[in-house]
Amino acid sequence: MLQAGAVQLLCLTASSGVPLFCRGASKQLPFSVIGSLNGVHMFAGGQGVQLFNCDTDRGGRVLWKVFHDSVMLIAVTGQRSDACGNLQLRRLLDNVWNCMVLVLGLEELTNVRNVERLKRELRSCYQLIDTFLDIGKDWMGDLTHCVECLLPAQPAVLQDTLNAFAQAAESDFGCLLVHGKMVVATDKWWRLAPQEVVLLAALVRTLGGSACCDCPIFLPQGSPTVPHRLLRFQLLPGVNVCMLCGPTPTLQSVEGELVVRFWRPLVDMLHGCQALHQRCFPGSVGLHRDVLALLLINRESSRAVSSVHPAPSAPGAPSPIRRWELLRLLFTFATTRYFSQTEAPQKGEQLPPPEEFAPGFSDQPQQCYLVTDECKFFALQTPQHQLYILTAVSVPTFALRPLATRTLSTLTDSTGF
Amino acid sequence: MDSMEFNGDPESPSTRDHVEAGDALRETESDTDDSFEMLCGGSDLEPEWLDDVQKNGELFYLELSEGEEEAAMVHSSVTQGLSTNHVRFSDKEAEIITDGSKNKERYKREPRLKKLVKILRKKRPSQRRMDTPQALRPASILKNQAGQRAGLVVQQQQLKEVFVYLNPKRLGWRSPSPERGGLLQALLGVVHRPSWGRGEAQGRREERLTVHGLLPNSPAIRGGQVLIGDVLVAIDDVDVTSENIERVLSCIPGPTQVKLTLETASPGEGLEPEPPSGRPSPPVSQLVKLLWGEDLVELQMSISHIPHIVMYLSLKLDSESAKDEQEILYQFPTTQASTQLKGVRGVFLTLCDMLGSVTGGRIVSSSLLLSQHLVHVGYWKEGERLLVVGLPADRWADHVTCTPDCNFLSVHRAFSEEEHCPRLDCFFSLFFQRLIDSPGAPTPDAAGALFLDGLPAVRWLTLPPEVKVRFTNGGVQIALAAFLFLSSDFGEMVSVHPALGWSGGEGYLLASHLPKEDLLDVALYCQHFGLLPLASEQRIGQLVIWREVFPHRLSQSAASGVEQGYSEPQGRRFLLIVGVRHFMQCVLLEAGGCAAPALGSPGPDCVYVDQVKATLLQLEGLQTALEERLAAPPAPCLSCADWFLPAGRERQDGPVGSPVFGKLVGSIRASSPAGRRGLFGDSAPSLRARRPSPQRSLSDSGSDGPPDGAPFLGLSPHSTPDSTRKLTGRRDSLGSGGSDGSSGSGGLFKKHPNPFYLGTLKRSLSERDAEAAYSTMKLSSGTENTLFHYVCMETVQGIFIAPTHREVAQLSGSIHPQLIRNFHRCCLSIRAAFQQSLTSWQAQLQGTDGHQGPRGLGPVKEHGVLFQCKPENWNEQKKPAPTMTYWVIGRMHLEPVPQEFYVCFHDSVTELPVEMAFRLSFGLAL
Repeated sequence: MLQAGAVQLLCLTASSGVPLFCRGASKQLPFSVIGSLNGVHMFAGGQGVQLFNCDTDRGGRVLWKVFHDSVMLIAVTGQRSDACGNLQLRRLLDNVWNCMVLVLGLEELTNVRNVERLKRELRSCYQLIDTFLDIGKDWMGDLTHCVECLLPAQPAVLQDTLNAFAQAAESDFGCLLVHGKMVVATDKWWRLAPQEVVLLAALVRTLGGSACCDCPIFLPQGSPTVPHRLLRFQLLPGVNVCMLCGPTPTLQSVEGELVVRFWRPLVDMLHGCQALHQRCFPGSVGLHRDVLALLLINRESSRAVSSVHPAPSAPGAPSPIRRWELLRLLFTFATTRYFSQTEAPQKGEQLPPPEEFAPGFSDQPQQCYLVTDECKFFALQTPQHQLYILTAVSVPTFALRPLATRTLSTLTDSTGF
Repeated sequence: MDSMEFNGDPESPSTRDHVEAGDALRETESDTDDSFEMLCGGSDLEPEWLDDVQKNGELFYLELSEGEEEAAMVHSSVTQGLSTNHVRFSDKEAEIITDGSKNKERYKREPRLKKLVKILRKKRPSQRRMDTPQALRPASILKNQAGQRAGLVVQQQQLKEVFVYLNPKRLGWRSPSPERGGLLQALLGVVHRPSWGRGEAQGRREERLTVHGLLPNSPAIRGGQVLIGDVLVAIDDVDVTSENIERVLSCIPGPTQVKLTLETASPGEGLEPEPPSGRPSPPVSQLVKLLWGEDLVELQMSISHIPHIVMYLSLKLDSESAKDEQEILYQFPTTQASTQLKGVRGVFLTLCDMLGSVTGGRIVSSSLLLSQHLVHVGYWKEGERLLVVGLPADRWADHVTCTPDCNFLSVHRAFSEEEHCPRLDCFFSLFFQRLIDSPGAPTPDAAGALFLDGLPAVRWLTLPPEVKVRFTNGGVQIALAAFLFLSSDFGEMVSVHPALGWSGGEGYLLASHLPKEDLLDVALYCQHFGLLPLASEQRIGQLVIWREVFPHRLSQSAASGVEQGYSEPQGRRFLLIVGVRHFMQCVLLEAGGCAAPALGSPGPDCVYVDQVKATLLQLEGLQTALEERLAAPPAPCLSCADWFLPAGRERQDGPVGSPVFGKLVGSIRASSPAGRRGLFGDSAPSLRARRPSPQRSLSDSGSDGPPDGAPFLGLSPHSTPDSTRKLTGRRDSLGSGGSDGSSGSGGLFKKHPNPFYLGTLKRSLSERDAEAAYSTMKLSSGTENTLFHYVCMETVQGIFIAPTHREVAQLSGSIHPQLIRNFHRCCLSIRAAFQQSLTSWQAQLQGTDGHQGPRGLGPVKEHGVLFQCKPENWNEQKKPAPTMTYWVIGRMHLEPVPQEFYVCFHDSVTELPVEMAFRLSFGLAL
């Protein structure tokens, strides 16, 4: 039996049901269980019935999804894993599939000739997959599928430097990341699918401490079969500049000639960005101290700013980890019920089942709030933005709405987000 | 008596089959007949329902009201001719008919029920196929036959194919004897008279199967396409004759649809669909549908393309006797789509088995995609058995599995006893029909129905205290009277359970003594059989229902087996429902326990029925009080959403007023002619009638208008921060809103041209007093009333209050119904959030595994959603549609009594829902 709150991810070949890997919970499920979880889905498929998911009374869940008729992913959660809603698990399966494509390429995964070899190769994905399984410590791009940004005090200078740097390296794709959060990026980089950008940010996180690296990647949507090179250079601890390029230039040439030339003058500014990585927006933007956490999404550009330290908070408030959890829950709650997202399904994918309540409203939901013993939540949606805030219980309920609208206008006016 | 006899008529066994079949199995013939004679011997009058009591004591007797009957008469005179193809021939009558001269008489003798049902069926033009109307002479039905007998050459022999639904399981143990027509008659309902002489003379036993008659309520007669005189050529493309027909029919293993190929002499006739009658009639209630067996199948066909199924499966498989489908203990229905679901039952079984061991929880639901339909499957595991209910996702409801419990002791008992099979068929047919209703257009208020039905509460009508007391006393009276009477004379049979009774008038609960669980069970029963709408439409002349029930509460306590001081006496419960006009009283009676145990299957006792009826008749006197209550303006006051839409039209000069003072305008304009349409109605709005209101003040909390009703401009110094986003248009004043309403519900509004007009109160009070009264009845703060709708549920008593249908109808408006739909939809969502957090919270309380910190969102106390609404059909391209924003807020209290409270109000006022909730619950004195 799975532990309470644990998530286990199973990967099998769709046609033969051979287990490829198993990640997540400390104790692996017995093989017979894995086999029958797969068998149930296969049997139903043979009868013309497509099985999506299964819930138990104590919050345990099973979710199936087949990708490109070749790989089956199954997510299983133990009881009382309320943090893992269906949306979360669906996103998890998509993300894991994208991770596999990113590392191995679509070709390798759809035309499986040697299962044992595939199994070995998949080991290189484990680290990346595990970042998606270990959810919600300090980011939520995996859930929102929006690029998480850090809004620097002087974006123009950084943007110019990055553009010049990328041009000098003969690449159109370049970005500056601070602890996995996008500070600036070239125009072309922004044109990548949001999921890909989220994925690349996660990949850069896992690549860790080395000064620079050069790894081949496939873009799950942009070029799933032709590999590109991802060049990464660490400027400061946690501050990385990345580039996507073809066969040229070499890592050494860029590192030796360009990195120092372009980025040395900006070290102080980069230090400034590094200091912001928890707050994510410049200190000049003042928010009310009762705002415990916030998530602001720009719906047009699929960018997001999230922070659990928007303001020096009062004592007695929930811990930052709990705030992340609550923020994720609020996002899930509001998007699945009220702010339905229209996300185009990826190619070769099954249509996701429609959400429970979203289609039913004849009028457009615009704002919603929740009051619990622990916190108060407010979410609002405008044509351009979505804002989710978490406030202290002490805030009167009727003040939530003005607080939220003011937060939104403060943030958007001062940063142009 | 013009009664709908469903059960007692020995001539129509198949009717009983559909309604209360399985009863026949109970051989325990009680001596109730004797007791009836004892009881009724003294009185001259025998109750008219007495004959209908079945052998097992159950009774379902319905008599229509006079108005309904008159309508029936009118219709029958018109439609008799039309329906000639549907005349039921029983075995004997078929002989009489050939005579031809007695036709008229036969029509007279035709049971009233059939006429009635015909009429009811006429009201649904789309479903019926009618003959051409000129066939008024009764003889015309036999013309095929007559033609053949006269030796005329039938001009055109044509083959036609008719699909019928057969269910051999309904035959049960009764094996049809050949002399009674065999399977052909029993299963198909086709009467065929073998012509012995001629057949033998020709030396062949084989003979064409001419339809000589049709059994009432049989599969053959249902579609109206099998005509007398037709020749049955083939079944499912297998040629049949009199020789092999029995064999062919006996090969049908289970309920299925078969194709009959018939040779007919009258091509096209009977296939001409009747043009829809001009006057749209109210849909026939479910009860009538249910009672008329044919609809059961027909309805089933109409929803057959939507996958839905109920299966009761056994988890324990006997591997040795590997018989096909042995694990299926019960299933319904057997349509194409559900067969597919049946095919994957292995999935359900495996999942149920496995998930317990994997995740440590009981499986409750799963979703799957089946031929483009997203289907949710609910599970209910009990011991070694599993109940599976599959429904399309958009019709999904949570309270599914608890329903059968009410009618039967447990899910297991309900499904395992074979005799219940037809009754369950019936039950689930209704059940699915209720949920998957309306194949084409979506139901107008499906969400509302789902929400209100799903609440563990009964709609309650708040009454003035003195009226309420009388209702309450009424219940006590029967309790006492019946109890005294019984304990002295007939104590050995049934005793009244101390808590009892509820009267539903127009679908509202008026008084109740039942414990909450019982009340909910009883309400569920009534809801399921559609009894409440029946009462509200005044269709009932007299209704008597008697049956044994197994309330949820008892079966639960029996299952847990925990003795806690006082335990409910074990005994059998009987439900007695008596309805007279639009009052209905449900009484729960108990045998055993403190009373003597009941033996066999006791029938209803005249004493109770008379008692209850007497009470109901007494209550009739209160009808005027009720009427008054229903006609009174809503308290708390409600606003119509349309009044808040900015008109978006050119400004007009004229008196302006806010809704509060609109009543002055309204009373001045009381004589304004009705017939104006709403702004977004079909006809062009008459702008003259509209009075522009002041600029909408964004925060009314700060503005207090002059009390003398002078026009004021609601310019408030305070404004909410989002004022910039809001459309600051003008909207209609209440005066015009009132005249809108008068077009909607004529008579009512003649008296009260304005919903804010305080009706009876207002008459006697001066302006200022009325003003005061108004403010006490207003829930929302601020000067204007911004409340659109509310629902308040109290879980201890299991009741909820909401504005009455009439109150809502009074508000009319074009946006308002849409808003209420959305409100209900949103309440579903809010309630789901409450339930979800509540269960996780309880799990935390129980959780002893030392898991620190709360998980999930934690218990949600309050949840609100802001909606923006636009008029539905805005066809002006130049201007953007006017918009209006409103809140739907739900609040749950656990202390002091569990209450749930849902309100819907306009955005302009910042409300404190807690405050509103308390104001509502205290003000209404439940």
